[in-house]
Amino acid sequence: MDIEKPSNKTAGKPIQCRAAIATAPGEPLVIDEVIVDPPNSHEVRVRIICTSLCHSDVTFWKMKDFPAVFPRILGHEAIGVVESVGENVDGVVEGDVVIPHFLADCTECVGCRSKKGNLCSAFPFKISPWMPRDQTSRFKDLRGETIHHFVSVSSFSEYTVLDIAHVVKVDPTVPPNRACLLSCGVSTGVGAAWRTANVEVGSTVVIFGLGSIGLAVAEGARLCGATRIIGVDVISEKFEIGKRFGVTEFVNSKNCGDKSVSQIIIDMTDGGADYCFECVGLASLVQEAYACCRKGWGKTIVLGVDQPGSQLSLSSFEVLHSGKILMGSLFGGLKAKSDIPILLKRYMDKELELDKFVTHEMKFEEINSAFDLLIKGKCLRCVIWMGE
Amino acid sequence: MDNKNASSTAGKIIRCRAAISRIPGKPLVMEEIEVDPPKAGEVRIKILCTSLCHSDVTFWRSTQPPMAVFPRILGHEAVGVVESVGGGVEEVREGDLVLPVFQGDCGECRDCKSPKSNICSKFVNKDNQSMPRDGTNRFRDLKGEVIHNVLNVSSFTQYTVVDVTHVVKITPDIPLDIACLLSCGVSTGLGAAWKVAEVEEGSTVAIFGLGAVGLSVAEGARIRGATRIIGVDLNPEKFETGKKFGITDFINPATCGDKTVSQVIKEMTDGGADYCFECIGLASVMNDAFNSSREGWGKTVILGVEMHGSPISLNSIEILKGRSVCGTFFGGLKPKSDIATLAQKYLDKELNLDEFITHEVSFHDINKAFDLLLEGKSLRCVIWIDKQN
Repeated sequence: MDIEKPSNKTAGKPIQCRAAIATAPGEPLVIDEVIVDPPNSHEVRVRIICTSLCHSDVTFWKMKDFPAVFPRILGHEAIGVVESVGENVDGVVEGDVVIPHFLADCTECVGCRSKKGNLCSAFPFKISPWMPRDQTSRFKDLRGETIHHFVSVSSFSEYTVLDIAHVVKVDPTVPPNRACLLSCGVSTGVGAAWRTANVEVGSTVVIFGLGSIGLAVAEGARLCGATRIIGVDVISEKFEIGKRFGVTEFVNSKNCGDKSVSQIIIDMTDGGADYCFECVGLASLVQEAYACCRKGWGKTIVLGVDQPGSQLSLSSFEVLHSGKILMGSLFGGLKAKSDIPILLKRYMDKELELDKFVTHEMKFEEINSAFDLLIKGKCLRCVIWMGE
Repeated sequence: MDNKNASSTAGKIIRCRAAISRIPGKPLVMEEIEVDPPKAGEVRIKILCTSLCHSDVTFWRSTQPPMAVFPRILGHEAVGVVESVGGGVEEVREGDLVLPVFQGDCGECRDCKSPKSNICSKFVNKDNQSMPRDGTNRFRDLKGEVIHNVLNVSSFTQYTVVDVTHVVKITPDIPLDIACLLSCGVSTGLGAAWKVAEVEEGSTVAIFGLGAVGLSVAEGARIRGATRIIGVDLNPEKFETGKKFGITDFINPATCGDKTVSQVIKEMTDGGADYCFECIGLASVMNDAFNSSREGWGKTVILGVEMHGSPISLNSIEILKGRSVCGTFFGGLKPKSDIATLAQKYLDKELNLDEFITHEVSFHDINKAFDLLLEGKSLRCVIWIDKQN
């Protein structure tokens, strides 16, 4: 893999380059020239090598109301090379290969220092249109109009600017078209099984929704030694796909007849599963997942994002009597700066499998086909190569 | 009408007094009843003292199934002496001091064998009104009408019959009134802090409802080293009481002005408490407790029995932000192993339990215990059925 030598000529100056801009809800992205400002204090400017499409990009692309904003540069799963750094940046220099992460890890605040969680209190997670530290944008179109950021990453651009709290330096020899997956989706799923749920050897796991996140949970559960990984989805083809990720049994929730999905799972598992993961983003499915995790110690883990303001309703009697635990996490409970390198190493050591997540690879110009494929359910991860 | 020589009653029906709940919300009626001998796997216990728990009150005033069951012998916090045992019972015998416990512990099922669960699954059809092993009853009034059980115990009576999986031996070194507290409320709260939440040193804890359960959570959090224990209650007198159990800060929801309780707690704690406990039994308070927990790792533990059957409603995004919710019965404790540990901590003076007992009445005056609890004047009122010492 060729890493282009960084050009000293661009440091400190705006860069004109191409970006895929979301201009209106649901409209194809427009590839156009943009101006990318140099990095401010605590920021780095990065040339993106590869980026991949995640369902959360699609969600905020289709959305009409805030927190969706337009025009915006979407994309948050990527890998790149540092072109230049701003002041007060330690640990990362020009030429370093880095992975951006939407969930901040400043490493210093109470949240980052705690072993119990992964939410940075200095830069709390929100769907912001700006750079996190000063609420301004580094992107402009050629008319000088502001273009908005997306979750502090904005990787559908040849160059982007990232806050140091959202960047981790990684081994430069990693294949970029695999490593970029660890920037969001695969890490979220694997982390959920490993860190959030702490799946142990011999467990029975149920996964609702076999998209990339659900399959990444399966991969994580497999690595943790789960013996039964039951996948639940409405498309039967997902079972064949799922088997490659460790799914051992499949329930098609449309073919349950009179019984509820949870009843079928309770029957299959003689009382319920040890861990149930909701990877779709529907409050009703969370309830189904809760119903089929085992009393006494069953854990239901929520990963899917439902509409803002949606509520989960649980029977108080059931909560009290069952001893079940309901929990949720962002980014699989992982601390990006320490855990992304760990997962990358496990990939390089051939324990964690990433290749099977990449179903399509394409050039930057073809980015809108990635959206079509994902919306039609015809891909897992489409990796988009930015390079010339 | 006590039978002084226990062995002379073994195998026979005992006639004795019991306080019976016949009409929802009305005073209990003292009546003569008949108590059958224990069947296989059962133990007949002479109750020495018992205490009133709010869950009894919830059942007492319910008018809808499944909670409303009448006529019924309430009471599930008690200590007594084994009068006789049924076939196959070897772990206790006549004369043993025991606690009847509403939470089962058979030691054999998958849950009892797992360190992660305390929800014994030996008897799957427990209906909270009859014997767990065969679904029949051991109490009858003098007209021959069945009187129902509560929570596998029924302690407002001179004699009761309890399944051996619900009977725990206890050291006679412990004062009887303290022993009886360990059979429900106080253990539930201590266990919730110790086993369910696993409160660690330096934690911030918020407790909604400062009754005996809430205050025992406070006591549990205190001995685990929590540095801030915030008590939330509508009764301002509970703060003074609460200080004795480790409460460091107090919030009265009625005096929060425009702010919600969770906003106040988040401000006080710079983001929310590490652990929140609901100890009342109201879905709206369960929601408040959840909203008061810190993002990243905040854990909410539900101990209250919801009084109206309302569901808990949680915001999905707040769950995604690293929070968890669970409920617990009996504080996650395994009765047959953990009660003894708590008793020992009391004897070693690590646990302060004496302050939980605020009143004592004789069996004859049992209805006063209800009045005191409903008026918010008592924590635990001990009802002496047979003052042996």
